[in-house]
Parts: sequence; structure tokens; C-alpha cells
Amino acid sequence: MTSGKETKVINSGIIQIDKLRKIYRLGDEKVIALDNISLQIARGEICCILGPSGSGKSTLLNMMAGLEKPSRGSIIIRGHEISRMNENQLARFRQKYIGFVFQSYNLLPTLTALENVSLPLTFRGVKKGVRDKQALKMLTAVGLKKHRNHKPAQMSGGQQQRVGIARAFVSHPTVIFADEPTGNLDSKTSSEVMQLIVQMARQNQQTLVIVTHDAGVAAYADRIVHILDGNIAQIENITETREMKNEV
Amino acid sequence: MNKLDLLQMSLQNLRRRKARTFLTILGVVIGTASIIIMLSLSSAMEQNFKEQIARMGSLTVIDVYSGAGGEMPGHARPGELKLNDETIAEFSSLPGVKAVMGLQYSFMRVVAGKMVGDIQVIGVEPEKLADFDYEIETGRLLLPSDKDTLVFGKNLAYDFRNPRLSNEYMTGYMGHDNNSKPPVELINNKLLLTADMQYGERRPSLPDPNNKTPRPHEVRGVGILKESGDEKDYQALINIAVLRKIKAEDSKAIDRENRTKRNELDKQYDNIKIKVASMEEVRDIQKHIQTLGYQASSLSDMLESMKKTSRTMQAILGGIGAISLLVAAIGIANTMVMSIYERTREIGIIKVLGADMADIRRMFLLEAALIGLGGGILGIIFSYGVSWILNNIAGKYMANMAESTQISIIEPQLALGALIFATLIGLVSGYAPAHRAMKLSALEAIRSE
Repeated sequence: MTSGKETKVINSGIIQIDKLRKIYRLGDEKVIALDNISLQIARGEICCILGPSGSGKSTLLNMMAGLEKPSRGSIIIRGHEISRMNENQLARFRQKYIGFVFQSYNLLPTLTALENVSLPLTFRGVKKGVRDKQALKMLTAVGLKKHRNHKPAQMSGGQQQRVGIARAFVSHPTVIFADEPTGNLDSKTSSEVMQLIVQMARQNQQTLVIVTHDAGVAAYADRIVHILDGNIAQIENITETREMKNEV
Repeated sequence: MNKLDLLQMSLQNLRRRKARTFLTILGVVIGTASIIIMLSLSSAMEQNFKEQIARMGSLTVIDVYSGAGGEMPGHARPGELKLNDETIAEFSSLPGVKAVMGLQYSFMRVVAGKMVGDIQVIGVEPEKLADFDYEIETGRLLLPSDKDTLVFGKNLAYDFRNPRLSNEYMTGYMGHDNNSKPPVELINNKLLLTADMQYGERRPSLPDPNNKTPRPHEVRGVGILKESGDEKDYQALINIAVLRKIKAEDSKAIDRENRTKRNELDKQYDNIKIKVASMEEVRDIQKHIQTLGYQASSLSDMLESMKKTSRTMQAILGGIGAISLLVAAIGIANTMVMSIYERTREIGIIKVLGADMADIRRMFLLEAALIGLGGGILGIIFSYGVSWILNNIAGKYMANMAESTQISIIEPQLALGALIFATLIGLVSGYAPAHRAMKLSALEAIRSE
């Protein structure tokens, strides 16, 4: 990658989605999950993709994370065209640049909180001493230092999700994808988790993409992209609105 | 992902399902043990064969007789090739031949005081005895200068009996206890050697005037050979020159007419033994002698057929063992497939978190290999245990004929080979499932709730 190209990429957004289309074939029937989506997300931006179930928002996230291939169009993250990468390249790419927060936490049941958090570093080949230190720092940041030796089954949903957040941030990825991060949590825990995740992303100028159907969650974002039937229905810039509210 | 982490993760996953891992490993244990034990039986068999044959005599000696059916000493048929000094010279010149000795057999009676023994007395060349593995236990071997000496096989003394006590007749043939004292002391300066097989018996009151009995010859017993386990234990050795002289005197006494014929016969040998420098050359030299028209045999014939037998045994026994290892391999594959089904979601998660494809495959392969390795190690330990029981407990009941017959011998390379094989079996049967785990779609995996 040349430095000139890099500059251009940063200027025009860390994630560039261009004319993205995804069609599923169910037997003879074609289902258009995404019709024609173009979107740019800037570095450090907290962007929420909001839509009802079946709108195609999850498909969009999966494609941004390289879990699905688009039928047409391109996704460029940090200058890398991820829709053209093979599985191995994608794995490396995720190791370096992507963090994930899941709705159902997806912690490994056999590992302790600390081991779960350090897992992405393990895949990178980071030595145990180093990664344990970093993972502990992350656990401390999410307020679970005391629970470092607990297995997921010994923790509440909110605690598990905080471990999940620590795991997503531990390798300092450029982009963090969160798929319905509060979907399994009650409203009080939800707001705690959302505050935590937003705060952590802001601290290091990391880009956060949240997919949700919950307008309450969307309120934490800088920008809300409304998706309906595979198309962007509306883009709502809410940074100013929130600032105004805070002043009141 | 670094290797230690990979190993730790695999071990952790195996520990999760202890019962299942244990049962799968048990399958490998049984498979490995059955191969090792089966092959240990055949290698013990081979070992015993070899020892038996080695006990029968040297593997580097070829026995030559004059022709087909010529094994009966002194019965060379007319027209057959003769074994004489020329033959010896001919054989000696063959490449690879270390020594050649002519032998003459004679069945005679040895008398020690009141005791007599009917013995095969073999005329040998004293200076060549050492080449043909005749080893002395007490006394000394024959010397070329000896005029009237005999050396006896280890068990000959037990064949002596007192002809005047007819009820003792059978004892010599009923077997004996090696620890019991033999009835005669054969290292003795006052022995008699005679061709008269009735010597010392109660004779009919009127001797048959037409039958002249040969005169007994005074001889000395000077040595007893080491036990060899073959016919050497029941033979007596004498200088061939002395034997010929005795025979000549006897035939002079019995039958003057046939003298010339006897003389001619006395220049021949009943048997020629050839010592070959190395075991590898035995077969070639033996074949060569056979093409010359002689009858030649050696223990290498036996060794060869023994090897064939044991190879067949090995194939059969190894095959039986291999079947159980095959079953174990299927067990490993099954366990791995089950484990992947169970962990589909996890595999998806670690994929999304950035685990390398190769690392995922390695992780599962390592698990399968660990099952193989663990089963292999336990299988070896188990096999040594079974082998010990076979040799020390079962062996005592089954083999009362020999003191220390081993039923099962596990050679270190067999154990090592089995261990490597078990691990490989694990790898091979884990390969397809591991590949499948690697190919799982991360998305599908995460979706499966």
C-alpha cells in the first residue's frame, strides 16, 4: 500500500461501501437482502445501522466483516477490498483491524474471562505474559478485574457482554462491529453496556459500527443509518442534537 | 498462533469431555496393544526357533553325504559318488570354505568295568574339531597325537547299563535327570572299545565256533563335550586313523576273504562336514555341492523355512492386531466428528475473532494425534504388562519342557513403531474432520444457537 493511497483512504472514510447488492436464492425465488447501498464511515465515527428485522441490516454487517460475499459492489476497509479476499486473508485482516461484539456474547465456555479476552491476541501469536497483561488491563477497564478467573457460566449477562467488549477492544482494532450488543440485556444493563462501549471507542478514536433495531441504542451514535428493505431510507446526523440536549 | 497455545487449547478441549476422550483412547489402547502383543508372540516364536536351531548346531556347517539316501552310514551304493580325500580337497578349494572334515561312523560297544554302552563312535580329524564347534566341558579334546583316546558326548554316560542286570536295561532310554550322577565315570583310563555287541552279556554256554568275535581294544576316555542339545550329546569321538586301524584289525579277525573290499571302504568317509566362513555363503556353497551330485544339507534350510513360517505368522497376527487398530481409528474419527458438531459455534467464534484457517485445522489434528499418542503410550504400557504376565505366569504352566521359553518378546523398535503408528492413525483419522472444521462457514457457525 502506498502512502498516497492511504491518505486518500483516510480522507474519504475508513469504510467505503459502494453500490452493494446481495441476493439470496431460496429455491427458484430470489430474495433481495440488500438492494443498492453506498455508505462511507469515517475514522472514529460511531455509526448505527438501524432497521427492523428483515431489513437487511445484519446482512450488511456480515458483509462488512467479510463473513458473506456481496453479489455486487465493493467494500473497502482501510484501503483493502475485503470482498475479494480469500478466507486466509480475511482471517489475518480480522486479526489486525476488526473487533466483534455479539448479541449472545459468544464467549468460549471453557475459558475464563481473562482467557476469553486474550483470545484474539492468542491468534496473533502474542506471548502469554504480554497478552495476559493487556487482557487484564481491558478487564479492569470494563470493571471486571475481580472476575478474571470466572467462567462465562458464572457471570451475569451484563458481565458476559462486558467481557465480550473487552475482547473486542483488546487488540486495538481500527473498526469494531457490534451486532445487537444489548439484545439479550435488560434496559438498565443495556445503557451501562452502551455507555461502556461508546466510551471505549471514543478513547482511542476507534470506529464503531452498531447494528440494532432498538432506537434507544441508536441514540448513542453520531449518525444513524436507517435501513429498510435493503436500501438506505434515511441518514440521520445526531451529534449536534445530542450536544444540544446535554446543554439543557 | 504459537505452538504451546495450540497444544494447550487442544488438551483443554480433550479434557472437557473426559469420558468420551477416555473411551476413544481406550479404543486406541486396545488396538495398539493387540498389534504389539500379537507381533510380540511371533517375534518370541522366531526367537525360540532361532535358539532351537542354534542349539542343533552351527548355522555355518554344511553336511555332505554321498548321494540320495546316503544318510545311512556305510551304505554307499555302487555308482554313487564317493566321499574320499579327493572330495575333501575339492571342497576345500571352494571359495568361502573355512574347513572341511571327513567323518566315519561306526556303531560300537564301550565297556567301563561292568557297565557297557552301545554308542555311535565317530572317527574325526582331531586338528579340525575346534573349527566345527566341538567344545569340551571336562577333560580335553582329542589331540592329533592320540592313539587310543575317546571323547564323549555330554549325555552318553547315562546310556551305560550293566548287561547282567536285565531290569536296568530301559533306564538309558527313559530319560534322565541331568543333576543325577551318571552311572559311569567316562574319563577313565581303563575303557574297552569293541565291535562285539554281545560283549559282557551272558553268553550261551557253547560259543558258536563259526562266529569269531572281534577282540576288544583298550582305550582311554579323556574328555566330555559341552551339552549341545543335538545328536552330538550321544556320540563319542575318536581319531579317524585309530578308528580305521581298529576296523581293519576287526575285519582281519572276522573275515579274511573280504579284506580288500573293506580296505577300500575304509578309505571313504560316511559324511563330510564343511565349515563356511559366513552364514550368507552357506546357501550358495550348498547349492554348488548339490549340483556336483552330492547330497548336502545345512541348518540354513531349516532357518529359511522357519523364517518363512514366522513371516506368515507375523502377517496373520499383525493383521488381526491391525483390525482392532482400524476400529480404533474409526473411533477417533467418530469422536472428532462429534466434537466438531458440538463445537461448531465455537469454531465460528474463533474464526470471526481472527483464528487462522490453518490454526483451526491444526488444533483439531493435534487433538486427534494426542488421542493416538496417548492411546499408543498406554497401549505400550499395557502390552508390557500383558507380555510379563504371559511370560511369567502363563508361560510357567504352558512350557514345562523348557526352563525359560518366552511366549512374548516386545522389541523396543516394535514398541516405538506402534507408538508412531498409533499417532499417525490419529492424524489420519482426524484429518477429514479437521478439514471440515476449517471449512465451516463462520457465519453459519455463529448462527447455530
